[in-house]
Amino acid sequence: MPLLEVRDLRAGYGAILAVKGISLHVEEGEIVTLIGSNGAGKSTTLRAISGVIRPRSGQVTFDGRRIDRLPPHAIVRLGLSHVPEGRGIFHSLSVYENLLMGAYTRGDALHQDLERVYRLFPRLQERLRQPGGTLSGGEQQMLAIGRALMARPRLLLLDEPSMGLSPVLVETIFETIQAIRREGATVLLVEQNALMALEIADRAYVLESGEITLAGTGAELARDDSVRRAYLGEA
Amino acid sequence: MPDRSAPPPPWTRTLARFRWPLFVAFTCLLPFLLTDVWVQMLVFVALFIVLGLGLNVVVGFAGLLDLGYVAFFAAGAYTMGLLTSPGSPIDAGLDFWLILPIGILIASIVGLLLGLPVLPLRGDYLAIVTLGFGEIIRLFLINRDDLTRGSQGLSAIPRPDLFGYRIDSFTEWFYFVVAAAVVVGFCTSRLRDSRIGRAWEAIREDEDVAAAMGVNTTKYKLLAFASGAAIGGLGGVIYAAFIGFISPAAFSLQVSIDVLAIVIIGGMGSTPGVILGSLILIGVPRILQFRETSDFLANLGWLRDALNGLISALDAATPGSLGRLPPAETWGAQLADDTRFIIFGALLVIIMVVRPSGLWPSSRRRLEFAHDDTPPPAPVTAP
Repeated sequence: MPLLEVRDLRAGYGAILAVKGISLHVEEGEIVTLIGSNGAGKSTTLRAISGVIRPRSGQVTFDGRRIDRLPPHAIVRLGLSHVPEGRGIFHSLSVYENLLMGAYTRGDALHQDLERVYRLFPRLQERLRQPGGTLSGGEQQMLAIGRALMARPRLLLLDEPSMGLSPVLVETIFETIQAIRREGATVLLVEQNALMALEIADRAYVLESGEITLAGTGAELARDDSVRRAYLGEA
Repeated sequence: MPDRSAPPPPWTRTLARFRWPLFVAFTCLLPFLLTDVWVQMLVFVALFIVLGLGLNVVVGFAGLLDLGYVAFFAAGAYTMGLLTSPGSPIDAGLDFWLILPIGILIASIVGLLLGLPVLPLRGDYLAIVTLGFGEIIRLFLINRDDLTRGSQGLSAIPRPDLFGYRIDSFTEWFYFVVAAAVVVGFCTSRLRDSRIGRAWEAIREDEDVAAAMGVNTTKYKLLAFASGAAIGGLGGVIYAAFIGFISPAAFSLQVSIDVLAIVIIGGMGSTPGVILGSLILIGVPRILQFRETSDFLANLGWLRDALNGLISALDAATPGSLGRLPPAETWGAQLADDTRFIIFGALLVIIMVVRPSGLWPSSRRRLEFAHDDTPPPAPVTAP
């Protein structure tokens, strides 16, 4: 049984339907990526899965449980963390307080999780008392991922972690994603940087205008001519 | 970022640690230093500090813009009035100390009644609905005159006893309301630093992200409305007992605006800000009405002469178009009367232009404003 199964999901805002009936699944321990151009419905898909917006129709099953009608805070409790597009750092809270917010659903000892975040992102430990809003873009992305890990998620939804970062930082972030997977988490990654995403993904889906047009292993899609033309910048 | 790693000298630390006890002790000395009109003015200031602290929970902590805060104040005041005024159809002659929790409870229920329908609303839309809610409560008080005696109001509301001693003089009321403000201030600052406070902070910054962190936003927004309303209700019960007479006219939109202005002028989310804000918004207009103020202005003979000189000069340019200032004996009172609202309005405008984040912003808010102005954190150099 897959860890996450999405069937016929439709979601949108007001009169606009951004996701028009997509189905996908993520197995335990996988890195799965969702690639596509701007406005293809990638972020909407993640938001509908994590409950930030309510799906119009369709089913979302996480670990054998229907979650498509649950509020977001109940979904976090089940072990699904969402790192939103634009990172969503709380600017006036310190780095440390941001990390604590990530563990909001948990009452137990946190220092193990804090240690883990510090190990993955030593930069954050140096800036614990600094307000989140004063971090650089790359540090904010590290904080957003670290904060999501504080909830001890079984599945991590990452929305455009490479956005606005320098190539070196993108490299670091992607290495961290692989490290997180090695430690046992499953990752569903949304990216415009298709090249990098396909490189680390076990499987991938291509989303166009709210519909899935292609699916396969990361390597398969990276070789696919239409993908290369559309997303990898080849003529 | 200013360098905060250097430890401050020891005496500042001691002072910082005891700043609240010292401030309260100083406040308690005030009735010995001031005349009765000043103490009466300070009772209102303290009452509006209570209200400001309550609205601060809703607006400052949780970021929910509430323009109908007067509704909760009215709920508390009418609970007191209806249960104790001889003119009320349900006068039960209950004791103040029994009504206090009832009034707080009823106000928080009213808070939940407002909170439930506005849960999905944000920002401007929330402000408009809460504005309407405040008016609905006022119109209800006017129109249900079989219960509330409408515009006639409820009179002869008894004053409370404390340990068999009646709270009567302005000085006694001053201590009583200040005590209430201290209790409320303590509670709200503890709330702010708690887990609940952090949830509010997260909701204020980004409701979606807060939800994605596992914060039950419905629960915490309702909790903010209910806590703010409870404090408003407490203020209302105390107000009714102090004034002794309530009518719907006392619960107009102006009260909501005053309390919101206290929170904003002082600095959203900040307890010292609320105190400063109330001193300015409630204190200054009253001070400008005092005899002392007119006397003070009347003694400024040089100012009168200077103004008269200016008028003569202008008059020479356009003859006959300008009058003269009134004689020295009356001009102080007239100046205070004529310019009271101009002085007050100008003061508010100046404060908001010079200090957009409020007079005494909370440390968090200060960072936020600094961040909005300058996206990359620029180093602050000492002048």
